[in-house]
Amino acid sequence: MAYLLQDLLSDSARRRPDGVAVDAEDRSLTYAELERLSDQLARALRSRGVQRGDRVGILAPKAAASVIAVFAALKSGACYVPLDPASPDERLELIIADSEIAVLLAGHATAARAVGIVGSAPRRGRASRPASHSQRGSAPERRSVIVVDPRPGPRDAPLSPPDDLGSGTEVVTWSATLAEHGDALPATGAADTDLAYILYTSGSTGVPKGVMISHRASLTFVDWAASCAELEERDRVCSPAPLHFDLSVFDIFASCSAAATMVVLPPRTSMFPVRLAEWIQQQRISVWYSVPSILTLLATHGKLSRFDLSRLRALIFAGEVFPAKYLTMLLGQLPDARFLNWYGPTETNVCSWYELPRGTSSLTAPVPIGKACANVDAFAVTDDGHRVSATGQQGELFVSGPGLMSGYWGQPEKTREALVANPLADAPAELVYRTGDMVSLDVEGNFLFLGRRDGMVKTRGYRVELGEVESVLYEHPAVSEAAVLPVPDELLGNRLRAVICAERQPSREDLLAHCRRRLPAYMVPDTVEFSDTLPKTSTGKVDRVLLGSR
Amino acid sequence: MDDAVIRDYIGRELVRDPAVLPLDNSTPLLDSGVLDSLSLLRLVLFIQDQFGIVMDDLDVIPEHFADVDAICTYLRSRPDYEAAGSREDARA
Repeated sequence: MAYLLQDLLSDSARRRPDGVAVDAEDRSLTYAELERLSDQLARALRSRGVQRGDRVGILAPKAAASVIAVFAALKSGACYVPLDPASPDERLELIIADSEIAVLLAGHATAARAVGIVGSAPRRGRASRPASHSQRGSAPERRSVIVVDPRPGPRDAPLSPPDDLGSGTEVVTWSATLAEHGDALPATGAADTDLAYILYTSGSTGVPKGVMISHRASLTFVDWAASCAELEERDRVCSPAPLHFDLSVFDIFASCSAAATMVVLPPRTSMFPVRLAEWIQQQRISVWYSVPSILTLLATHGKLSRFDLSRLRALIFAGEVFPAKYLTMLLGQLPDARFLNWYGPTETNVCSWYELPRGTSSLTAPVPIGKACANVDAFAVTDDGHRVSATGQQGELFVSGPGLMSGYWGQPEKTREALVANPLADAPAELVYRTGDMVSLDVEGNFLFLGRRDGMVKTRGYRVELGEVESVLYEHPAVSEAAVLPVPDELLGNRLRAVICAERQPSREDLLAHCRRRLPAYMVPDTVEFSDTLPKTSTGKVDRVLLGSR
Repeated sequence: MDDAVIRDYIGRELVRDPAVLPLDNSTPLLDSGVLDSLSLLRLVLFIQDQFGIVMDDLDVIPEHFADVDAICTYLRSRPDYEAAGSREDARA
C-alpha cells in the first residue's frame, strides 16, 4: 500500500502516543489525540461526500485546530487547500471556485467569515482541468463549513443554524463532528501520486496559480528535511510560516515524521523581537525555520545576550537572501547553533541546501544556495544550452526528481511552460522544472543565487509577480497606465512601488483600498506615486530601468 | 495633542487598509493589522524623533503599541519625554 503523509502521523501515534505532537495556544495535542481527532474529522468529511481526489479548504491561522484539519483532509482522501486569512474575501472566493472546494474547514475565529465566503464564491471552476488526477467532473452544488475548535470543552462558534443561511451552505459544529460514529475510516484507495495540497502563489497574468504537490513529492522533501535537520523526538520545532506558505510543510510533517513537537508561535510575536527571543527561550525551541527577515530583526533588536537560547541548535532560513551583515551578527550571538540555507521554489519543494561551516564567524558575500538535496537533481544551463560546470559560469537553474509539483491546478499551459523537457543534449527524456532563477557556481561546486530572469520579486519571503499587481491596478477605472517596481529593502527583500498614470487622479487611499480588496496584504504596493506619463523603451514597453532610477 | 500627532502619522504613513480610517485613540493597531514588523519599526523611529527619546528594544512590546492611548501612556512614563506642547512653549 502507498505510504502517504498521514502515515507519518499514524506511525508516530503508535510509537509515541503520549508525546506532544502540537504545542499551541489553543490547545496542545499528544500524538494519540491528534490521530484520534483527525480521524474523527475525516469521518465528518467522508460523511459529507468528500472522497479521493477532492479538495478541502482550510481557513484558519496556524494552531492545533488547523493541524487537525490538515491531517483530516488527507485522511479523507482529499488534498488540502490552505486559504490565507489575511487575504481579501474576493481572492479567497476566487480560489474556492477555482479549486472547486466543497468543504471548508475553519477555526473558531474564522468560522463566520468562512460561511460568508463559501456562500458568495462563484459556483464554476475553470473549464479545463488536468485529466491525470482523479477529479470529479462538476463543480460542487452544495458546500459545507466545518468548524474545528479543539479547545477543552467544546464551545461551538456562535453561528446561525444552517437553515437560516438560505445559501445552500451547511454549517457543522465541532460538537456535531465529535458525535459522528467512531467506526474505522474506510480505505480511500489513495496513491502516492495523488495530490496532498495545493498552494496558491502569485501569477503573472493576474490569476493566482495553484501549485499541486503530491504525497510523493512532499514526502521526498519531508524525509530529506527531517534527516538534514537531524530531527529527534525531543526536538521542539517552530516555523512562523502560515499554512499557505510552503515552509509550513516542514514544521507540520517533518516534526511528525520524527515524532518531535511542533510548537506554534502565537500571532504577532515575531513582530516584537524581544518577545520572540523570550518566547524561544521559554518554549525551549531547538529548531527554527523562517524567512531571513525575522532572524534579522532578532539579531538587531532581540537583545539575545539577555536570554538563554542554548537549546536552539539549528536555524534554518529560506525564501530570500539573508544579508551577510545580519547573518554575521546572528552567528556571533548564537555561536553554537547550526545555520542552514534552504532553497527551492514552491514548485520543487526545497531542492538545494548549504550549511555554514561550524565556527564561521563572519561573512562578506551572500550565503550560497548550495548543492542539490537527496533524490533531487539541480543543474544550471547556459544561454547556449550547456550544463554549467566551471566556477563562475552562469546559467538558469533547472530541477528534476520526485520532489517536483504535479503542475498548476487547471492551467495546463502554464504547467507546460514550467515543466519542460530536459534542455541538455545528453539528458534522459524527463520533465524538469525551469526555476527562472539565474545562478553561478562557486569554487566548491555550490550554486550562488544571482537574480530572476523575469518580473517576479520576493517580498517578506513571498513571491510576487509584478504583472499581477499591475493587472489589478489596471482594473481601477481611473488608471490608464501602471508600473510596479521593486525597491530593494534589507529587511523585506523588496518593497513594492507603484507608479500610476490616471486620467482623473484617484486618491492614494482609493487605489490602496482597491488593491486590498483583490490582493493579499503582502502584494499591496507599499508606496503609490502619480506621474503624467511612464517612460517607454524603443519597443514601446515601460522602461523599468529608467523608471527605477527616478 | 501628542495623540493627534501620532494618529496623523499612522494614518498618513502606515495604514495600508483605508477601512480602518479615521483612527481614534482606541483603534486596535495590532489586532487590526495596521502595524506589521516594518511599520512598527517606522513608528518607533518616528516616536523617537518626534518626542526626543531613545526607545530601548526591551520597550518594544505589544503592550505599548496596542493603540494610540497605549503609546501615549508609555510616552508619559518616560522621564525624558517632551510633550509636543511643551516643546513649542520652549521655542516661543
